[in-house]
Amino acid sequence: MNAVRHTVFGLLLTSSTAWAGAPLAQTEAAAWLQKIAEASRHISYEGVFVFQQGGASQSQTLMVTGRPSGAHMESRLLTLDGNPREVRCSQQVSFTLMVNGSQQQIEKRLNRRHFPDLLPENAAELANWYSISLGTPSRAAGRDCTTLEITPKDVYRWGYVLCVDKNNAFPLRAVMINDEGQVLMQYSFADLKLGTQPKMDGHPMPAMPEAAKPATGSPIEVTELPPGFNRIAAMRRQLPNRKGEVEHWVFSDGLTHVSLFLEPVQKPVLPIKGQSKQGMINLIKRQVGDWQATVLGEAPWATVESIAMHLEAKPATP
Amino acid sequence: MTIKTATAPLASQAEEDALSALLDGELSQTESLRALARIHSAPAERTRFRTYSLIGDSLRGLPDTHPDFTTQVMAALKNEPTLLAPMPRRRERRPALWLAAAAVSAITWGLWQSLPDQPIPAPMAANAPRPVDVEPYLAAHQDFAQAVIAPAEMQFTQVSFVEPQR
Repeated sequence: MNAVRHTVFGLLLTSSTAWAGAPLAQTEAAAWLQKIAEASRHISYEGVFVFQQGGASQSQTLMVTGRPSGAHMESRLLTLDGNPREVRCSQQVSFTLMVNGSQQQIEKRLNRRHFPDLLPENAAELANWYSISLGTPSRAAGRDCTTLEITPKDVYRWGYVLCVDKNNAFPLRAVMINDEGQVLMQYSFADLKLGTQPKMDGHPMPAMPEAAKPATGSPIEVTELPPGFNRIAAMRRQLPNRKGEVEHWVFSDGLTHVSLFLEPVQKPVLPIKGQSKQGMINLIKRQVGDWQATVLGEAPWATVESIAMHLEAKPATP
Repeated sequence: MTIKTATAPLASQAEEDALSALLDGELSQTESLRALARIHSAPAERTRFRTYSLIGDSLRGLPDTHPDFTTQVMAALKNEPTLLAPMPRRRERRPALWLAAAAVSAITWGLWQSLPDQPIPAPMAANAPRPVDVEPYLAAHQDFAQAVIAPAEMQFTQVSFVEPQR
């Protein structure tokens, strides 16, 4: 059955990418990835992009500005439709400002990255887990772009199609696709100015108490992770709109992020599987020893299942 | 997507599928008789049939005619080092078991004001997973998600514990 599945998978990939060039050599792929990662972090920009998920019926338009500040970026996201929301990121802090009528609410974010900054600092290493091929040149936000198809080499990650500025490799469009080539979500600039000096108006950066503390020793261990995945964060935190602290770990291959939440079991946990439309987000909740483990992320079922099933309660230390 | 069951040999998966199809009335008469014969002859199969029936009834929101059901499931969870596997083809067969969570996830991130109305299937079993239970986790994960502002239209289902083949 596995062999059959792989053959079918192979055929689908072949047919969907038949028009694309052959995969680039790994060094060349790595160079492309690194170039795109650096472009999104070194070029100042201001523009408007559209985020779509689950078809055109769900879309959100956002204004985004970003400028280098030291070794990092300062950036600001502002929703242009729907409820007013603003995300501000600097080297020190990132937060979301929400406005509902006369009420304002600020939430600290634990991560400072967002589109167009999608690739990690060590983007070249992604070439170990994804193959890259050049697709048909395209156009986005009035700019000519080079198309790169980022195809996972195994079942543990989603694929991407990136359109990057032909001249400087700045990401103009990013499409996340599943193993059948269906679009899961996409970001696409509608309008973009590069190399300007954007103003960072808006809400001043507030001083906020730390939202998370370092993780303490946990009685759970992960015996095995899918290839390329590392634990990139571990903290104790409060969950939005809920009392009490949980342990939150994050595993990533640089592009895919999977969260694990651990908390003491209050009552026996019935295992639950959750899945978003087209399977983009997968979730498992299960009991491991005296702990409730919730694993979720924008990753294939195989990834979430693998992590969830490789959790073990450490033997109690006397 | 292919669901990888960590369970068991393929034969058993086929048997489980047949069992599930039997319960859903999807087998021909000949196939039904064959499946029933197997249930009669194999104790493990009989247990599984009973469990499936109970879970099915419970999830359909039928009156609790098997008061010991929860106790049994809890005991099974506690005592058996069993494996996790999705209910066979549950999604296609019983769409009513899948819960729409759009409205709930929209509360935290609030970016999606006008989500299309999704009928919440009813009746819901008392112990069926509720979207609200996992919503805080989804929201917390958003900090690390590529989709900074993605709503999560999650659908949930209970997964069953199945006995490993001995």
